[in-house]
Amino acid sequence: MFGRYNGTFCRECGDISVETDVVNGLLTYRRRCEGRTFERILVSKTGEIVISPVEPHNLPENITEFLLMEFSPIVIEPDATQTVYLKFPVEIGVFLESAKDIDVLDIFGLGPQKYTLYGSPTNGLIARCYRSAVYPEIPPVEPFREGVLKLCIHNAYNEWAEVSCAVFDSTDMKIYYDNYVAASATMKIVSKTLAETDFVDAPLRPGMTKAIELNVARKIPVLDRGYLMEWGY
Amino acid sequence: MAFNVTEVLEIPIGVGTITLENILYFAVILTIGVTVARIVSTNVRRALTERLPKNESELLAKLVYYIIILWAFVFALPQLNFDLSGLLVAGGVAGLVIGFASQSVVSNLISGLFLMFERPIKLGDSINVADVSGNVEDVRVLSTVVKTYDGIYVRIPNETVFTSNITNYVHNAARRFTYEIGIRYEDDADKAIRITREVIANHPFALKHPAPSVFVDNLGDNSVNLTVYIWAPARNWWDVRTDLLWKIKQALEANGIEKPFPQRTITFADNLEVKNRAAGKKGDD
Repeated sequence: MFGRYNGTFCRECGDISVETDVVNGLLTYRRRCEGRTFERILVSKTGEIVISPVEPHNLPENITEFLLMEFSPIVIEPDATQTVYLKFPVEIGVFLESAKDIDVLDIFGLGPQKYTLYGSPTNGLIARCYRSAVYPEIPPVEPFREGVLKLCIHNAYNEWAEVSCAVFDSTDMKIYYDNYVAASATMKIVSKTLAETDFVDAPLRPGMTKAIELNVARKIPVLDRGYLMEWGY
Repeated sequence: MAFNVTEVLEIPIGVGTITLENILYFAVILTIGVTVARIVSTNVRRALTERLPKNESELLAKLVYYIIILWAFVFALPQLNFDLSGLLVAGGVAGLVIGFASQSVVSNLISGLFLMFERPIKLGDSINVADVSGNVEDVRVLSTVVKTYDGIYVRIPNETVFTSNITNYVHNAARRFTYEIGIRYEDDADKAIRITREVIANHPFALKHPAPSVFVDNLGDNSVNLTVYIWAPARNWWDVRTDLLWKIKQALEANGIEKPFPQRTITFADNLEVKNRAAGKKGDD
């Protein structure tokens, strides 16, 4: 399903159907996903439609840019480093691209969404919440529902640490895809309550295609600054 | 008779040595200043709209606007033979006079500056201040504009805003709201609690943490009353509140749990019998 399309096309995969068709002489984009539909008339001579995975914080509406991954607690000794694999929710973006501009047409995804508060109501932040098991190697995933997140955890603190969640600023997220969607991230434990998280701009395996970043499409410049978890991990 | 423009422009207007030409130059410089200020601030606003929060882009645009106008004013003042160094000398006396005359204006101005930098409210925030509830439309130098939930424009002087208790409903990331749900005495309260929890868990914006709380709060006259505490993102809480209550009601009814009607059990002291009048009439016939 991911890729570039010109003119009319139709792609179906399980509960998802994406197509463009000429209706009453007008090029019409139509998407169906789990019973929800979205339709727009397109006026374009040279534009392409690009379907690509996007940062998972837009559904059902964009209220935050943070992703909180919950997983089974991992107890890690001082100075140790461990790479684990998690599953993260996939959202699919449909972009309109011409020689001069690229813009977001539609974002959809499978499965439920859930949000949570990280930190206190006063100073905390709202984050998209997703629970995953911890895998020692790349787990099998439903390609349009879940992606694989490679997480490298390093305990730079001088005490044992128990980690059961990681919060990411997903505006920094670098997503790659081929048969499945993937991203890589790091987590550095700094103290008893502090940890730094960041995404790594590298494919999980050679040959993967880099996804379009929403902020690039929306022309919003962002600094890749990672995120400092201040309210525990 | 020849009409000489230069001579006309050099005619004194009767205030010191100021001529019509000076007035014209003063007006032209101010007009240019205001025009440039508008163009620059509009472009600043346009350029920053997608890069900064609306509140900050508006603040910067206004700052740029007033700096340019101030610069134009200072630049134009010499046209009126106004010696800026004299302002310092006259400043003491004039300051007193102006101070008394424009006490409320200055007070609003200072309050506005404090509001802009302290930022207890931002554009778009849902607030209650001086008994006015609504969304902040604009924080100006002298006043704050609130659009009430009925869509009414209300201008509040900044001094009032600054000295009043400000309730900002969306300042924190999350806020809690409460439902009270009554069920019949014969209904299973544990089942009602489980169903309510499930409905809340399925709503994306009913926050997972802090966890929602559902419990039997009291035994009322007509119903067992459940209290439900739910946390939601501050900016979405009203949507969540209005959406969830109906979903909970539907889910409870789908599982045979209903809200009771008011009821009263009456006991007669003298064993009053209820007679079947219809049967009695038939018997009489």
